[in-house]
Amino acid sequence: MSNAVYASLSRQHGLIQEMQVVANNLANSSTTGYKTDRAVFAEYIVPTGTGSPSLSMGGLAGHAFEFEQGGLSFTGSQFDLAIQGEGFFVVQTEQGPRLTRAGHFLLSDQGLLVDPMGNNVLNPGGGPIAVPPEATQIAIGADGSISANGEAIGQVGIVLAAGDLLRDTNTHFVAPDGFAASDRSTIVQGALEQSNVKPVLEVARMIDVHRAYEAGQSLLEQEDRRLTQLISSVRER
Amino acid sequence: MKSLQIAATGMAAQQMRVDVISNNIANMSTAAYRPRIAEFSDLAYQQMLTPGTITSQTGNTVPAGIQLGTGVRPSTVSMQITQGALRETGAELDLAIDGAGFLEVTLPSGETAYTRDGKLNRSAEGEVVTMDGYPLADGIVIPADARRISVSRDGEVVAYFDNETEGQQIGTISLVRFINEKGLEAIGDNMFRETQASGAPNRLVPGTDGVGAIRQGYLEDSGVDVVKEISDLIEAQRGYELNSKVITASDEMLAATTRLR
Repeated sequence: MSNAVYASLSRQHGLIQEMQVVANNLANSSTTGYKTDRAVFAEYIVPTGTGSPSLSMGGLAGHAFEFEQGGLSFTGSQFDLAIQGEGFFVVQTEQGPRLTRAGHFLLSDQGLLVDPMGNNVLNPGGGPIAVPPEATQIAIGADGSISANGEAIGQVGIVLAAGDLLRDTNTHFVAPDGFAASDRSTIVQGALEQSNVKPVLEVARMIDVHRAYEAGQSLLEQEDRRLTQLISSVRER
Repeated sequence: MKSLQIAATGMAAQQMRVDVISNNIANMSTAAYRPRIAEFSDLAYQQMLTPGTITSQTGNTVPAGIQLGTGVRPSTVSMQITQGALRETGAELDLAIDGAGFLEVTLPSGETAYTRDGKLNRSAEGEVVTMDGYPLADGIVIPADARRISVSRDGEVVAYFDNETEGQQIGTISLVRFINEKGLEAIGDNMFRETQASGAPNRLVPGTDGVGAIRQGYLEDSGVDVVKEISDLIEAQRGYELNSKVITASDEMLAATTRLR
C-alpha cells in the first residue's frame, strides 16, 4: 500500500482516540472537581526503506490537564469544601494518598472526615481529622482550620504536587513525585468546585474531530480510486 | 469506538441526576424533607503510555503520558442537611425540631425508625403516633380526659385537666442524633433507619448538644429550593443532549469507516 494510506491511517487512529478524550470530558461535565483533559499530538518519523525519504506520521503523544479553576456551586453543606486557587485535598486510599479537588466530604460513623468512598481526609500532618460528635456549628476557615462551636479542632490539609500528576478514578490524582503543604490556597466552605469542562469548546472540538475524520476517510477513498485506476490502466497497455 | 460507551455513561449519569431532581421537586411540600444531591466521579483511566517511561539512554522520560478516560459514574446521592423553614400550624401535636435531631418511632415489626416529620396524632388508645399510626418510642399516652397538651422545648409533655390548674407531666420526648446523618437509610414515609455508616443513635434531651429544641405548634417545611432544582434540571438536560451529540458524531465516524469498502 502507498505511504499516503499509512500516514492517513495514523491520523485516523489518533482522531478516534481524541474523540474518546472529548467524550470523557463531556461525560464528566457534571463531575465535581473534574479537570478537562487535552490530547496532544506529535509527529513521528518512520523510515521507508533505503534511498527514499522518511515518512512523517501523526500520533497521540501525550495529554495535558487544564487546571483552570472550575465554577463554585454553593450547596450550604458544612462539609462541602472548594479550593480557590492552586492546591489539592489529600485523601488516604488503600493504594496510598491521593490528591483531589472534589471536596464533597462527610463524617464517618467514627466521626472522621471522609470522602464519599469512605477514605479519610488528611490534615497537614497526614493524619485523619476527627470531629467531636457533640459539635453543631462547624466552621472551616480559608486556611482549612476547623472550629466546632468556636473551638479549634483541626485543619484540612491543602497540598501542591511536586511533579507531574497522573489521573486516577474518583477524580483522584496520583503524585508520583510527592507533594508538599501549601499556604497559597483558599478554602471556601459550603461550596463545591464544579467540573471545568466547557461544553461549547468540547462540542467545537468534537465537530472538528468528526470532520477531520471524514476528510481522512475521503483521502483514503481517493487514494483507493487512484490505485484502482493505476492498476486498470497498466493492465490495458 | 469507546466514545460511544463513554457518552452512554454520561447520558446515564445525567438521567440519574434528573431522577434525583424530579424526586426533590415532587417532595417540595413534604414536611421536613431534605433534598438529595447526586455527585459523580470519573471512571478508571486506560494507561496507554505511563508518564515517567524512559525514552532515551540519557534518562529522558515521558512528561505527561497518555491516559484515556472511560466515562463517569454516580458516586453518591447524599442528603443535604438543611433546616427547613418552620411553619406555624397551632396544632398541639405538631412538633418541629429546630436542630439536627430525629424523633424515634417504633415500626409494627418492632424495629426502630427515625423521622423529622413532627405531624403527630392521637391514636384510639390515646397513644402519640405518627401520620402512619406508628407510636413514638418514648411511649407517651395522653389520658382521655386531658383538656390540653403542652410540649416544652426540652421535650416534657404536660397534660392539663378540666378541674385542675396545675398540669401533670405524662412523659418526655427525647431526640436522637447521629454522627453522620447523611449515612441514614431512607425507608420512605419520611422515615430513616440506622446503618453502619450513620453510627449508633445518640439519645439526648431536646435542646442540648445541637440535637435541637422542640417547637410545639410548628411543622418543618421541605428543604427543597425549587429555583435551584429547576436550574439544575436545565443543566442536566443540556448535559444529556451534549452526550447524545457525541454518540451521533461517533456513529457518523463509524459510518464513514464502513463506507470505505
